Amino acid sequence: MSEQENIVEFEEISIEAPERAFDIEAPSAPVSDTPLAEARERTQASVKKTHMSQKTKNAITNTIIHIVLVVMCFVWILPFIGIVLESFRCESTGLAGYIFPQKWGFTNYVRLFKETDFPHWFLNTLIMGVIVAIVQTVFVLMVAYALSRHRFKGRKFLMNLMLVFGMFPGFLTLILLYTWMHDWNMTDLNALWGLILIYTASSGMGYYIAKGFFDTISHSLDEAARVDGATRLQIFYKIIMPLSKPIIIYTILMGFMGPWGDFVMATFMAHNAHAGYNVAAGLQWLLTDSMKNEYYTTFCAGGVVVALPITILFLLLQKYYVAGVTGGAVKG
Amino acid sequence: MATVKLTNVKKIYGKNTVAVHDFNLEIADKEFIVFVGPSGCGKSTTLRMIAGLEEISEGTIEIDGRIVNDLQPKDRDIAMVFQNYALYPHLTVFENMAFALRLKKSPVTDENGKTKYVKLSNDEIYKRVTEAAEILGISDYLLRRPRELSGGQRQRVAIGRAMVRDSQVFLMDEPLSNLDAKLRNQMRAELILLRKKIDTTFVYVTHDQTEAMTLGDRIVIMKDGFIQQVGTPTEVFEMPENLFVAEFIGAPKMNIFHANLNEENGSYRVSVCGADIPVDGEKGEMLRARGVPSREVILGVRPEHITLTSRNNPAAIPCVIQVNEMMGSEMHLHVLSPEGEEIIVRVPTVQFTAQQVASLVAGAKIFITFRGKVMHFFSPSSEFNLLTHDEPEENEATEDAASEEPAAELENKEETL
Repeated sequence: MSEQENIVEFEEISIEAPERAFDIEAPSAPVSDTPLAEARERTQASVKKTHMSQKTKNAITNTIIHIVLVVMCFVWILPFIGIVLESFRCESTGLAGYIFPQKWGFTNYVRLFKETDFPHWFLNTLIMGVIVAIVQTVFVLMVAYALSRHRFKGRKFLMNLMLVFGMFPGFLTLILLYTWMHDWNMTDLNALWGLILIYTASSGMGYYIAKGFFDTISHSLDEAARVDGATRLQIFYKIIMPLSKPIIIYTILMGFMGPWGDFVMATFMAHNAHAGYNVAAGLQWLLTDSMKNEYYTTFCAGGVVVALPITILFLLLQKYYVAGVTGGAVKG
Repeated sequence: MATVKLTNVKKIYGKNTVAVHDFNLEIADKEFIVFVGPSGCGKSTTLRMIAGLEEISEGTIEIDGRIVNDLQPKDRDIAMVFQNYALYPHLTVFENMAFALRLKKSPVTDENGKTKYVKLSNDEIYKRVTEAAEILGISDYLLRRPRELSGGQRQRVAIGRAMVRDSQVFLMDEPLSNLDAKLRNQMRAELILLRKKIDTTFVYVTHDQTEAMTLGDRIVIMKDGFIQQVGTPTEVFEMPENLFVAEFIGAPKMNIFHANLNEENGSYRVSVCGADIPVDGEKGEMLRARGVPSREVILGVRPEHITLTSRNNPAAIPCVIQVNEMMGSEMHLHVLSPEGEEIIVRVPTVQFTAQQVASLVAGAKIFITFRGKVMHFFSPSSEFNLLTHDEPEENEATEDAASEEPAAELENKEETL
C-alpha cells in the first residue's frame, strides 16, 4: 500500500461549532471569599500547641513502658542466671540458699559427663531432635500446602478435627502407646525409636502456622506458574518453598526442640532403663529425693549444656527466620 | 496466531450461582478483543476459563480449532498477564522471564526417527529473554529482583514473561489497573505499539472503558454474566444496543431522560425537560426508515452532545449550574434542569472567551439544548435501542418466547430503576 492511499482528507471540518451566543445569568448570591490567611494562622498555632504536649505525653508513656519491660525482663531472666551461676559452684553439690558460688570451677560439668548417663541422654535427644526435625518439617509442609492450596471434600472437617485432636494432651494415650511400643521392642533402652515414632506420627497436625503462612502467598503466583507450565510438585518446590524460608526454619526449630523438652512421654517409655532417657527425663531424675543432694549442681550444669545446641541452631538460622522474601511478588 | 471460539460457555459456582451465562464468541486470528464491564460481570471468569484456571461448567472453548476444555493451562499454548503481576519474588527479572522456558520441552526427532523431548538450550533462553527485554525496555533490570522495581517496571516484566513464550493467545487480566493514572496512560499507548510487535491473538479484560475503547479491535461489553454487545469501539459508542452499553461507554456518562418522541409528517421531535427539540440529521432519517411511531422513549444524550445556547432558542432548557469541573481543555458542568434532573454538560473551553469560561460557576443560570442528530432512543420497557432492535409487540407471550435472557434481566432492572 502506498502512502498516498493512506492520506485522509477533510474537505471541511464537519464538527458543528456550538452557538456562540449563549446567555449566562450570574449566581444570585455571591460566593464568599474565605479569609484564608486568618484560617491558616489559626491552624498553625493549634498545631504548635498540640505538638508540644504530644511530645511530653510520648516521653511519659515511653518511660512507663520501659520500666515495665525492664521489670519483666528481670523476672524472666532470673532463673537462667541462677542456673548458670549454680552450675559453676564447687564448694557443695546440694541445694544452697544463695546463687553466687563461693568457689568457681568446672567440677559439675566434669561429673555430668563422667558420673551420670548424661552423654547417653544427650545423644538420644540429639538423634531424636535431628530426625524429628526433618520428618516433621516434611510432613507439616506437605499437609499445610495441601490444606492451603487444594480444595477437596472434607477439607474443613479435617482441619477442625485436627484442631480438636491437638487440644487433647498427648499423654492421654500414654498407656496405649507404651503397650504398643513395648510389643515392638521400642521402649527402655530403645525408647529413642519409640519416641521418634510417637513424635513424628502426629506431627502433621501442627500444620496450622505453616498453612497460615502459605495462605499469605498469593494464589496468582501458583496460577502464573501453572500457565508457565509448572506441575503441582514443581510449583511446590520451585515457587512456594523458596518463599517459605521463615516458616521452614520455624518448623525445623520446633521439631528439633520438641524432644529436648518432652518429659512425660520420655520418662514413661524408658522407665526401666535410665540410659534410654532423653535429657529432660534424665536431668529430672537427678533431682529426685535420693539424688538431689549429690547432683543438684550437676543438674544445673546439664541445663546449661542442653541450652547450647538449641541456641547455636537458632543463631545459625535466625537470619532466615526473621525476614520474609515475598516483597514485590504482587501489588501490595 | 490462533482463533478462539467460545460456544455456549457457562460458569456455575456451587449449585446455582451463575457467573457467566451462555457465552458465545468467535475471536479471529490476531484480533485484539477486550472484555469490559463493571466488577462481577463475569469478564475475568471468562478469561480464566480460556486460560484453564477455572473449570468450564458448560459449553466448549476452542483454541485454534482444538477443544481445550480438559487441557491444563500449560497445554493450551496461552500466556497470561495477571492484574497483580504475580512475579516470582525470589527470582531475578531474567529468571522470572526464563521460568517458563526452563520448564519447556520441545520435541526433537533424532536420526532413528524417535521423538525426544529436550529442554531449551541456555543460549536459546538467553536470546529470547534479552530480545523481549529489549522490546520492553527492561534490559537494565534483568538482574534485579521484583521488589527492587517500580510498578510500571514490574508490569513490563510480567508482560515480558508472557511474551517470551511465543504463545498462540495472549491473555491479560486488568494489567494496568494497579498503576497510577499517568503510568496507565503511558502503558496503554505502549501496549498498542507492543501489540503490533507481538502480533498474536489478544484477550484483554478491563473495567475501564477508556482502555477498552483505545485498545480493542472489538469490545465485548458484559453485565451480570451476559454479553450486552459485541462491536468495534465506534459501533458501541455510536450505536449502543441497549441502555446499559450506552451508559457504560463514554465518560462522563450519557445523560438519560424520560421523553416523548413525536412524529409529524415524517419529521421527528422529542419533548424533554419542557423543551421541544427537533431530531434531525442521521438519527432522524434512521427513525423514519424504521418507521418508529410517536411514543414514550428513554432519551440518551452524551454530555458532549449538549450545547450552550441563548435564551431565545425555542429548544432551550434553562438550567442552574451545581458543580463545575475544570478539566483544562474542557469543562464538565453538572447542571439541574427545571424538573430537577441532573444533567452533565461537556463544554470545550477552547471555543469560549476567558470571560465566558470564568462566568460558568456554581449558581449561574445557563441555557442548554441537545443536538438532535446524535441522540439515542431506547425503549422504556426493554431498554433496547429503538434503532437496532424491534420493539416486541404488545404481546407478552412473544416477548417471553423471544429471548429468555433480556426478560430475566429486565426484571432485575425494573426493580433497581
